[in-house]
Amino acid sequence: MRGELEEIAAHLRGGGRLRAGEALDLYRHAPTHELGRLADAARAAKHPERIVTYIIDRNVNYTNVCVARCNFCAFYRPVGSGDGYVLGFDEIFAKIDETIEVGGVQLLLQGGHNPDLPLAWYEDLFRAVKHRYPTFRLHALSPPEVIHLSRLSQLPVRTVVERLIAAGLDSIPGGGAEILVDRVRRLLNCYGKATAGEWLDVMRAAHEAGLRTTATMMYGTVERPEERIEHLFRLRDLQDETGGFTAFIAWSYQPPHTELGGIEATGVDYLRTLAVARLVLDNFDNLQASWVTQGGKVGQLSLAFGANDMGSVMIEENVVRAAGAAYCMDEVEIVRNIENAGFVPKRRNMHYELLGDPIFRERPVPRMLELAVARTGELDAPPPEIARYPARSRAEKVRRTAR
Amino acid sequence: MAGDRESGPNRASLEAVAERLRAGGRLASGDAAVLAATPDLVALGALADDRRRALRGDRVTFVRVCEIDAVAGGAGQDRLPPRAGEVRLVGRPADIGAAVAETSRLRELAGPVPITGFALDDLVDLCRADAAAVREALGALREAGLARVAEARADAGDDPRWIELAVAEDLPVARLTVASADSDGLANARRIAAWGAAAASVRAFAPLPAVAGPRPSTGYDDLRRVALTRLVVDNIDSIQVDWRLYGPKLAQVALTFGADDVDAVSPIDALEHGWRRTPLEEITRNVSAAARVPIERNGRFEIGTARP
Ligand code: SF4
Repeated sequence: MRGELEEIAAHLRGGGRLRAGEALDLYRHAPTHELGRLADAARAAKHPERIVTYIIDRNVNYTNVCVARCNFCAFYRPVGSGDGYVLGFDEIFAKIDETIEVGGVQLLLQGGHNPDLPLAWYEDLFRAVKHRYPTFRLHALSPPEVIHLSRLSQLPVRTVVERLIAAGLDSIPGGGAEILVDRVRRLLNCYGKATAGEWLDVMRAAHEAGLRTTATMMYGTVERPEERIEHLFRLRDLQDETGGFTAFIAWSYQPPHTELGGIEATGVDYLRTLAVARLVLDNFDNLQASWVTQGGKVGQLSLAFGANDMGSVMIEENVVRAAGAAYCMDEVEIVRNIENAGFVPKRRNMHYELLGDPIFRERPVPRMLELAVARTGELDAPPPEIARYPARSRAEKVRRTAR
Repeated sequence: MAGDRESGPNRASLEAVAERLRAGGRLASGDAAVLAATPDLVALGALADDRRRALRGDRVTFVRVCEIDAVAGGAGQDRLPPRAGEVRLVGRPADIGAAVAETSRLRELAGPVPITGFALDDLVDLCRADAAAVREALGALREAGLARVAEARADAGDDPRWIELAVAEDLPVARLTVASADSDGLANARRIAAWGAAAASVRAFAPLPAVAGPRPSTGYDDLRRVALTRLVVDNIDSIQVDWRLYGPKLAQVALTFGADDVDAVSPIDALEHGWRRTPLEEITRNVSAAARVPIERNGRFEIGTARP
């Protein structure tokens, strides 16, 4: 391997692009440190100023009711479940207030595919948020949610995207990508929510409509190494075409409490996957560390294996927590980890524009030593505005008649 | 792909140190400081990994440990987990008599599984640092069935003569540990290296603190410490990491930064999650995924066969 590794390294140093076979060889055979060195050099070439960014935002899951039933998901509840919830607009406003208090600039808003939330619910919510908080950003609705709304409203994806933008959508998160290979998607029971091509088409439509988006990969389920690599190349191809992705985030599948079960990929696998992603995705400026799935320590080590962004100071998280992981880092901790690794921490927005130095050094902000959850109150009290939208599911119709 | 990894004098010195180590040379005075100061964690890790490979090949040993509180004792306990490779008495006993009594009590329960226990500095302290009393205590513990003194704390004293005395009494110290969360990792490593042959009977050094400080260490802190220790300490075979305290993710990555022995794997098979999630499966899978060969050992460092 050493000779081949030298050849690949020389090819990269000469400005060449990694080929799929080379990426697979690196992933499979390169010593972990060699991968780290190559990825770190690629990171340094894009970010020579040694800045590592992060964003203060809140990951809000507006509903856990979902008809998609992906077998790797511990978060969703079926329609009619007693544990199902939909957040009310007032609850979401309260979360925004708390987010702003700690210096937050956006909501990452994602949720299940709830048949009783029509497109109008999202439009009304987005408008109401923008009316109350005009500069606050909405990074919302991953491609499968957009496809779900397109199917629900029987409107083309492009129209749904345009209507959401008109209502206040600022950018689209790259969730729901899992592995962009249909063989894998069928096995994960997520082919129905979005095929690989459909996921990419939503992103293409969003980019063409002027939105920037992120891209993700959830690895460690049933995919083969070559399918991980294929995923990365599909993203690179679309980025060549549109240039609309701001960042890439890889995270490992979290097996506990899921139908699929199994075991989580290891920390070394995470660092190797991240490093290969940095090398393949030569047209992505930013790679995020996934400390939410890896914990703070391996999350910080990501900065030596190609990442240049510590992701989000997460105030709330529900999806990974549903699968048992509940790592928490507030801004003070994120900044400490960045500086300890020898980098300069800067706050950013979703477009990766620098917003400034750590906010806690400018003014006092409350420490957040625990993640909040979507909902702490009674689960069986649906928000009042839900009645304004027609119910589609049988369970919801029955519930409303019974009241 | 020009980078910002490091440039200027420090980079040049790091490369000089690396060159010397690759050529089979030893660290010169001042080299450790260069290594400790480099922000290039991956380069440091690669050097430590080369050193580990030269010393130990691709083998990673691990031990399943059943811990018994030496103070509260295991009274009432009539069996031990059958998969343990070491029964370890932890904590400071009230006095030497209590330590001997608890060891004797465990002897029958443990059967062929080696019993280790206590920290050498606690035993020395209980004997008021009187060499004759320490010798007598070690002899009594050995007679009671102790196979190894479980640990000597690398940051607890500057005197290796107690370690040599333990060897002379045929009750060697199993491993060196670090008690204080804020003791200086490089200073610890230098002190142990300076002990030379006096520490060579100790089989492993666990450089990461056994207790968390008020401010948790970072991943960089931990791996830098592991790598530096491997490079500086050349008189102890293995660099050890604690599976339970540091968790599978960090501990596994440490195996690529110079560590080659894993302590405190659980001896209890948690079968409720299926066989793939037993501690044994978890450790062997993680070691293999780090491109190493997992080998189970016992508390005497006697090894079994390589695990597939
Ligand atoms: S991953 Fe998303 S789409 Fe799939 S079941 Fe969970 S909430 Fe629904």
